[in-house]
Amino acid sequence: MSTLLEVSGVSVTFDGFRAINNLSFNIGPAELRAIIGPNGAGKTTFMDIVTGKTKPDEGRVLWGEKNVSLLKMSEAQIAQAGIGRKFQRPTVFEDQSVEDNLLMALARPRGPLSVLFWRASQKALSRVRELAEEIGLADQLSRKSGELSHGQKQWLEIGMLLAQEPKLLLVDEPAAGMTPEEREHTTSLLVEAAKTRAVVVVEHDMEFVRRLNCKVTVLHEGSVLAEGKLDHVTANQKVIDVYLGR
Amino acid sequence: MQRRPLVARHPSILIFLALLALFTLGVTLLSEAYGTGYLSTSFVKTLGKTLCLCLVAVAMDLVWGYAGILSLGHFAFFGLGGYMIGMWLMYERTRDIVAGSMAEAAIPPTEQEIVDAIGTQIFGVVGASEFPAIWAFADSLLLQLVLVVAVPGLLALVFGWLAFRSRVTGVYLSILTQAMTLALALYLFQNDSGLRGNNGLSGLQNIPGLTDVPQSHVSMWFLWASAAALALGYVLSAWIVSGKFGSVLRGIRDNEARVRFLGYPVEQYKLMIFTVTAMIAGIAGALYYPQAGIINPAEIAPIASIYLAVWVAIGGRGRLYGAVIGAAFVSLVSSWFTGGQAPDVNLGFYTISWVDWWLILLGLSFVAVTIFAPRGIGGLVDLIADARRPDRHGADLGPDQGALREKEADR
Amino acid sequence: MLRVLFASLAFLCLALTAPARAQDEGSIQPILQEQSELIQESSRRTIQPAIDAIAASGLSQAQTVLETWQAKDMWLRLTDGQYFRAERINRETYRLFDLDTGEDLGEFPADDLDQIKPNSGIRGLIAVALVQFQLSDPDPENRRAALQSLERDPNEDALAPLRNSIEGETDPDLLAKKQRLERLLTMAYDRDPEARIAAIEEMSEDTGVDVRATLNPILSTRLRVFNGAPPDSLNIARTLTPGSDALPRAEAYEMLVSAGDAPSRLGPDAIKDTLAQNITDGEVAGIQVHNLNTQETRRTAYDRLVADGIAPPVPTEAEVDATLAQYIFAEVYDEPNAAVTTAAQAALDSIATRVAVGQAVDLTLDALSLASIYFLAAIGLAITFGVMGVINMAHGEFIMMGAYTGYVVQQFVPGPTASILVAIPLAFAVTFGAGVAMERLVIRFLYNRPLETLLATFGISIALQQLAKNIFGTQARPLTSPDWLDGAWVLNDVVSISYIRIAIFALALIFLALFLYIMNRTRLGLETRAVTQNRRMAASMGINPDRVNMLTFGLGSGIAGIAGVAIGLWAKVTSELGQDYIVQSFMTVVVGGVGNIWGTLLGATMIGFLQKGIEWFNPSNTLAAQTYMIIFIIIFIQFRPRGIIALRGRAAGD
Repeated sequence: MSTLLEVSGVSVTFDGFRAINNLSFNIGPAELRAIIGPNGAGKTTFMDIVTGKTKPDEGRVLWGEKNVSLLKMSEAQIAQAGIGRKFQRPTVFEDQSVEDNLLMALARPRGPLSVLFWRASQKALSRVRELAEEIGLADQLSRKSGELSHGQKQWLEIGMLLAQEPKLLLVDEPAAGMTPEEREHTTSLLVEAAKTRAVVVVEHDMEFVRRLNCKVTVLHEGSVLAEGKLDHVTANQKVIDVYLGR
Repeated sequence: MQRRPLVARHPSILIFLALLALFTLGVTLLSEAYGTGYLSTSFVKTLGKTLCLCLVAVAMDLVWGYAGILSLGHFAFFGLGGYMIGMWLMYERTRDIVAGSMAEAAIPPTEQEIVDAIGTQIFGVVGASEFPAIWAFADSLLLQLVLVVAVPGLLALVFGWLAFRSRVTGVYLSILTQAMTLALALYLFQNDSGLRGNNGLSGLQNIPGLTDVPQSHVSMWFLWASAAALALGYVLSAWIVSGKFGSVLRGIRDNEARVRFLGYPVEQYKLMIFTVTAMIAGIAGALYYPQAGIINPAEIAPIASIYLAVWVAIGGRGRLYGAVIGAAFVSLVSSWFTGGQAPDVNLGFYTISWVDWWLILLGLSFVAVTIFAPRGIGGLVDLIADARRPDRHGADLGPDQGALREKEADR
Repeated sequence: MLRVLFASLAFLCLALTAPARAQDEGSIQPILQEQSELIQESSRRTIQPAIDAIAASGLSQAQTVLETWQAKDMWLRLTDGQYFRAERINRETYRLFDLDTGEDLGEFPADDLDQIKPNSGIRGLIAVALVQFQLSDPDPENRRAALQSLERDPNEDALAPLRNSIEGETDPDLLAKKQRLERLLTMAYDRDPEARIAAIEEMSEDTGVDVRATLNPILSTRLRVFNGAPPDSLNIARTLTPGSDALPRAEAYEMLVSAGDAPSRLGPDAIKDTLAQNITDGEVAGIQVHNLNTQETRRTAYDRLVADGIAPPVPTEAEVDATLAQYIFAEVYDEPNAAVTTAAQAALDSIATRVAVGQAVDLTLDALSLASIYFLAAIGLAITFGVMGVINMAHGEFIMMGAYTGYVVQQFVPGPTASILVAIPLAFAVTFGAGVAMERLVIRFLYNRPLETLLATFGISIALQQLAKNIFGTQARPLTSPDWLDGAWVLNDVVSISYIRIAIFALALIFLALFLYIMNRTRLGLETRAVTQNRRMAASMGINPDRVNMLTFGLGSGIAGIAGVAIGLWAKVTSELGQDYIVQSFMTVVVGGVGNIWGTLLGATMIGFLQKGIEWFNPSNTLAAQTYMIIFIIIFIQFRPRGIIALRGRAAGD
């Protein structure tokens, strides 16, 4: 299997605390992967490194078929290269309408000059409508996104991610604070997305992970503790110790 | 949703342009030059200057209200624009005078002699007579006009590039821009800065070639030019913020990191808006100072830029007409109070003289506006024309510090 | 006893210059009679023996006589040729006094008297002779005064009397001064070059200003022109090439012109004047006047005038060069002895090195005290910024408030020491109160809106500043420092530091210690650190963040108040006092990094040293120094965007 993202031997230290310790991780072009681990395992820091927010002290992060190093790229360049990220707290632009949010996320030139002269084409607008239907916000297009419910904001954010048309989606705790129905919807969105691209989901909730039905990586103290099917991983004694022993 | 013309989507632009045209027409009809003479020439100048202040306030609103960069340097750009046009005005005016006096001489002067005499005339006050290199283009109106936008633009570009690429944001950035302003003002205060130190450039109200035209006419022409510049600047700004670019700007204001993860090069956007607004500020300054007649480094001092922020805040940031209202209202009220026109208040034991107490009133009312009416005077428009919004009980709009709060964005 | 001592001293010192006259308690009149001819001739050229005779008489009244003479109070009685001191009673009558005893001899008609009127030259010679008496005067104050006047105005003739007076000097301080002055005078005036060189070498490690002031005239030069090689007898400092920086070509040629060795080179103005004088019918030499608006046509017209013989020819550039090549331009030492000038130059160089080291030390001390001031001014700002993320634009006004508190206290509490001791805690209390009030009334409503806080506090800042202006007026108010803070700790002529600066430095250290104690050893410090790191978590642990914010804001403001008193002692108190320090304080915080006292300390140190360093490079221009400093900081931010000491990781909140 070819790899889309290869993280190898990465370490990062904050004021003497090793948040990531010699972490290695691979993911293929169309794969759904869940990352679980207790608090402080380094899940968010891992995402920070991949998206360029944090620079690691050592190790390498290679991307795509050409094996480009992501370490020298800025956040914006990494995002343009095809990595989308969804934050733990829903972060949509609350001051702007759902449509504007989606339009902003659409995969289009990002440079300031081209954006300045860019005007929404019929095609772009219909793509937005399509996405809105996918995330169930077709009726809300003109509403300010700040007025949406928590779950709707989560979906809007996922919709924005999809609009970016990334090759890799990094999703941080998508199901937090959702009702069971909303979770159901989220699960299907993610599974659907993973058919055409790689999706990495960081999640606490085992039930949610089980429903994703995918390969699981367990992080602990900044490195990979176990990897495999959920059942396989949960049977691992070390994993049990880490989760229950504390 | 169909895309309609700009003005159709934003009726406030049309209303604004109509009001501005009405205002200009009104002033013209009441002026000494073209109308009844009800308004004195000095008041016409005040109004013209106020229009320029409105324009720089619009620029400030773009950069602060929309992009979230609280720049304490835009009045410095304004002043730089003034200096650039002032150089030409002073040079040509002095040339007229010098050439006039030298024509009396038995032998006609050479070019170099005229230039030397202009130099002595201009730089005598700072004990120099040589033209510094920065005056190289002072004899060309066209080039100085280019410099009016190029110099502030270039300074903003260099400073912004340095500041934004090192991810300086929020109050840090504000303080850094303030430092830049202070550095510029201190530099200009030096006698060897080449711009006449604290004497500044003076006599700018005398337009070369128009010496026979009375000031009452010149002031009207400048008022028209200022109104036209404000109209153009307003429409340009409205156009900039109306599309996706504006969307991205507001996104940067509310959550810079998120915009970055969407793949937008945030620094470039900030740099662009910072530079463009600096240029607008430069143009506003170039129109302002010929009406004021004199420019000196004190105009550039950091406090002026802070006042600019105050105007925008009082007018209501994040909406262009708010900036215009704020600048016009505060600067006119301010000149009313400090000009000694406001009646003193006699408390029996103490007489409040507004010349002394106006700043205290302004400072405190500013605090009050910030706390109680973050939407400023422009917020009144919402009260009148407000669509009913559902009552939303969210926290702050973006997770970043400095993001708009719910109340402000709720419009 | 003193009299005997003095007499013997006078004897000793005069033994060298004139034959001693062993007249112990004699009258001075015989000596005057002996020299009467010279005294009456009163000519500068011939008077010296008379003065010497009086000075060398060894009589105690010699000094008085000389002073009387110098003051034109010495009169000759024509009836017997005797000399007296006279006091005018009226035009006709004078009262005479005996020169030896001072006895009143009664009134005499003016017709019998003749005034001795020494001219200024003679008075000068008398003054020189008097120096030896003054330098050996029994009263140390008189000796000190004589020394001081000699230090101010050293002259060759004082050297011998000075040397003579050293031996009998009893006051150790005066002795040291005399010896030092003797060295200096030897350097400058001794007849023996060897002695001068020895003295110069001896003093070549002394950084005193007086040494340099003595050495510099030895090295004074004059620029001279020689047709051919300069004579060997001259002590040449260096030869100059015309056209070099030290001797511009025009200047060199002008020297030749003024010496009459070369024809004048007419400047453009002179040519223009000549042309103007030769205008006929709107033309000059056939060229229309209105065409004379370039240097070229003017030159053409002038050349025609020359050809017509109307105007003098002007040398061409080539001719000028040729003339210049004939001459040698050299700087010639006024001092003829080359060995002396060489030694003096070497000594001056060696002193310059020492002075440079001294200046570096002085600069360091200056920078340290400036850093202390910035630290004091910024520490409160850093606390509030670090804990609450709030930039307090009114911080400068709190400093001002502290300074005015000191001023007001001084109006009511007598004695600077007592008033300062009252003012410091009171300033803390006042600004603490103001800070808490501001936090409660304004900042509390604006948490998490740092930009608005910045502007709101700015509103307070302009209001407070104007309020201070309304109350105290615009003129500066003095804050008198106690006597024990006056003066300076002087190491030598180059290095010194005023006590106030030392006190401010000490104050900064005290506050550093106090701050570290509060932050690391008290409950408030613990809570403050907790709130700084994670406000929400701290709140859920039972810490009241509101209270912590209030107290830290008060604390920060209180420290600003104390800084205000300190700054007020050092600078004048005005309503703009705070403004002068606020931007530097901001810079300190920005450069130092947020939330760490050591960062503030480092930031203040860096800014203080930077400012002084730039001022040293460009001492005449403090405005430029500030400009460059700010530019430097902007560049510095490129490399450390979050300051010298930055938080990293999640706590940094990025």
